[in-house]
Amino acid sequence: MSDPAADIVVIGSGPAGVSVALPLVEAGRRVVMIDGGRDGDAPAGTPWRRMLGAHLEALAPDDGLSPKWRTPEARRLLGAFHAHEPIDTEDFNAVGALGRGGLSRIWGAFVCELQADDLQGWPLTAYDLRASYDAVVSRIGVSGSHDDDMAAFYGSADVLQAPPPLGPTAAAMFKRYTIARPDPEFALGRARNALITENRWQRQSCDLRLACLWGCERGAIYDARQDLALLRQHANFELRDSAAQRLAPAEGGWDVITTRGEHLHAPRLVVAAGALGSLRLVAPLLSPATELRVLNSPVMAVPLLVAGRLGGELPTAGHSLAQLGFRLACSPTAGDYVSGAIYEVAGLPPSSFAARMPLGRRAATEIFQALAPALAIATIYFPGRYSANTVTLRPPAQGDQSPRIEVRGGVAAGFDEVARTVRQRLTVIWRRLGARPLPGTTLATAGTDAHLGGVFPMGVVAPHGTNNYGELHAAPRLHLVDGSVLPSIPSKFTTLTVMANADRIGRYLAEVA
Amino acid sequence: MPQRLVVTGASGYIGARLVEQARRRGCEVVVLGSRLPGSDVTAVPWRLGEVPRLTAFLGATAVLHLAHDWASDRAYGTAPENANLAGTHILADTARGAGLTRFVFASTTSARPEAFNAYGKIKFAIEERLRAQPWSEGRIFCARIGLVYGGPERAQYALMSKLAALPVLPMIGLDREVQPIHVDEVCDGLLALLLHPPAGRHTVVIAGPQPVTFGTWLRTLRRARHGRKMLLVPVPIGLALAGCDLSRRIPFLPTVERERVLGLAGAAPMPSADDVAALGLSLRDPARALRQTRPARRRLLAESAVMLRYVTGRRVRSSGAIIRLARAIRRDPASARALPWPAMCWPALMRFVEPIRPTPRHGLARRLHLAAMVAETLPARRHWGATWWLRAAVQLTLEAVALPFRFVFRAFTA
Repeated sequence: MSDPAADIVVIGSGPAGVSVALPLVEAGRRVVMIDGGRDGDAPAGTPWRRMLGAHLEALAPDDGLSPKWRTPEARRLLGAFHAHEPIDTEDFNAVGALGRGGLSRIWGAFVCELQADDLQGWPLTAYDLRASYDAVVSRIGVSGSHDDDMAAFYGSADVLQAPPPLGPTAAAMFKRYTIARPDPEFALGRARNALITENRWQRQSCDLRLACLWGCERGAIYDARQDLALLRQHANFELRDSAAQRLAPAEGGWDVITTRGEHLHAPRLVVAAGALGSLRLVAPLLSPATELRVLNSPVMAVPLLVAGRLGGELPTAGHSLAQLGFRLACSPTAGDYVSGAIYEVAGLPPSSFAARMPLGRRAATEIFQALAPALAIATIYFPGRYSANTVTLRPPAQGDQSPRIEVRGGVAAGFDEVARTVRQRLTVIWRRLGARPLPGTTLATAGTDAHLGGVFPMGVVAPHGTNNYGELHAAPRLHLVDGSVLPSIPSKFTTLTVMANADRIGRYLAEVA
Repeated sequence: MPQRLVVTGASGYIGARLVEQARRRGCEVVVLGSRLPGSDVTAVPWRLGEVPRLTAFLGATAVLHLAHDWASDRAYGTAPENANLAGTHILADTARGAGLTRFVFASTTSARPEAFNAYGKIKFAIEERLRAQPWSEGRIFCARIGLVYGGPERAQYALMSKLAALPVLPMIGLDREVQPIHVDEVCDGLLALLLHPPAGRHTVVIAGPQPVTFGTWLRTLRRARHGRKMLLVPVPIGLALAGCDLSRRIPFLPTVERERVLGLAGAAPMPSADDVAALGLSLRDPARALRQTRPARRRLLAESAVMLRYVTGRRVRSSGAIIRLARAIRRDPASARALPWPAMCWPALMRFVEPIRPTPRHGLARRLHLAAMVAETLPARRHWGATWWLRAAVQLTLEAVALPFRFVFRAFTA
């Protein structure tokens, strides 16, 4: 059965999916978007419903890596993803979401642009992405500072909203930084978050209730469902509640076979199912001998104690997104740096921290609460070239149509050395900022960062490579627009770039489709 | 095609459970009597003694008659006016007239002509009348049910549960033998009779094949529910009956039914192993089955409260939080072990037995983590301000004191 109602079928309604669809729909193209239709907002009401879920689905032991993954919303989305995607993993945390809005429903909302230095090896220049960055930033609403040391690093700041007030611990560190400037190669500045501080269409500004982790009821944090609402106002856009099961080349285009057994036909197909979701969908189209890889950004979390804040009050207002962002150059080579973010612990659940302290539960809880006003968490992201994950395609099991995918996580040789050096240098810098690293620094399992890429890299001439517009060399008229096409992963948050790149591809497709 | 069953007494202890189980197995159920509250089961209004509307039997294959009119027993004893006698007869006749092929009558193991109480005599008389029907062969079955326990605390199981709460109990009939059987097993047996009755039997005994003395049974109940022993003081039957009469005369005193006392005094075991096997039932050990039911839930709630108290350092009064934690612990397979009683009394002792390196696989560590997650949903605690260092120092000192014990405990439990 063919479906003549669409010029383009988009698989996935996450940040990439909505970003590619908007220019298409605005140009009058008929777009059908499909996604597994889980749409419910985090239930409002009593604290326990928000934190544990109405059916206590989030009241189960977690691995304690990041409080972000233990919320009811995160467990729902990830649970649905794992139930749908047959991906085997080893030392790799397969983070993906099945449901409207995708991972943007639980993201950290940190946004930054890539600069010319970051785009080395890409078939694009900063100029190619410029218009799309501006369009996306003004669409999703970003708050941040445009006159501190990190402003240029995070990109053009024309349409920024004023940043929310800094938390007291972060403010203490930032003050020390502005006075001392501890290291010429280190820069610290206000974080740039997709968090609005001025009301917009259908969204209310942040009211500093410290409830970010459990889902923002006001819509102050960007979430792709907000753009989905925008898209659904167009008559030439249709959203269908079904997940893609299989892709098949068909006469003059592509067929998408969904879990509901529908066959959707379109001359062009856009896959925006998230790096792992797209890998699962597109890998069966390639020969089993194809060597695929997944890049991720190895990430470390360092607990910091700001001694000057001991005995202070834990703030009762604020947000729990990143407060500050930093950058540390590793060598004089341009683009060789690590960056990261600094969070406060107000609004985060103490049990996630107490679980990792080398103390009994009671003592850990009490001591955490005693130290909480002075605690901050720094995350350090390393460039994707330090990741060494392998992807293996196994022949389909009997009765199965697609091959099984196995992802094995790891870090590249030499990473430990680099990480140690970076940590040592940062330890000195933290001290100069009045903060002391506490024991308990951990390197997260590969993939936990969710900064994935490099699966179908743009500009790589190989069957699994894609052209400038994400079109797979081995499968013409099939475009990949999510993180899977990023040729490299810098030590920066990549979501904004994924969205801008999808927007760019969307504009292109609007012309050619 | 699903079987359709007509059930009387569906709101009772056994009936409610049976309707639920029958529906779970795909049977359709029509309740003859008052509508079950909060249920969508079809109900046809009826009272024992009335001729039921024929619509109730449309498309049905079998009738299960569980209803019993206790007031009528009291008023008429074994006289023919007893509504149970005539009512059962009318019901069976109407069902037969409506073309139903099976009629299951819930009787009792105390059904015998020489029974001490009216209940046993009436049940026996009804059995006899049913058996005298010319069409009874292979169509009418009398299920003699033993001492039922388990499930919700209702009917005589509620009474037993109350008795089991007492440390010392003066009691009659302690040496009489009873045949305990779980309510779910009774339901299984009755459903087997309704759906695939064993051939060649008119009376089927659904009761525990191994009789135990009533005294042993009370002790088993108490141990399973409260983990304690019980002192039983035998009371002569004459004295007990006098007590019953007295209790009825003194106002404001709970009355004890003469019927029940007599029933107990006249209890005698019936061989049931054959029938139980013929129905395909495999019965659980009552002591074990009891531990898995309601009392275990109560202990789990107590444990949850203790866990929350330990984690938060204060008594948690939110019953919602305690229930939520109990639910999470119950469905978490890795944490099945119960807390030892000293920790139940002094939660602070848990500090001495906590694992040194809490891994997600450790049962106690998991429970404490769940408790901490629940504790976070409670209103925030007061802030200590300037005394933060004092609190931290106290905790660290206690931790240092507890550490050697934790090593020792780990060595013992490893």
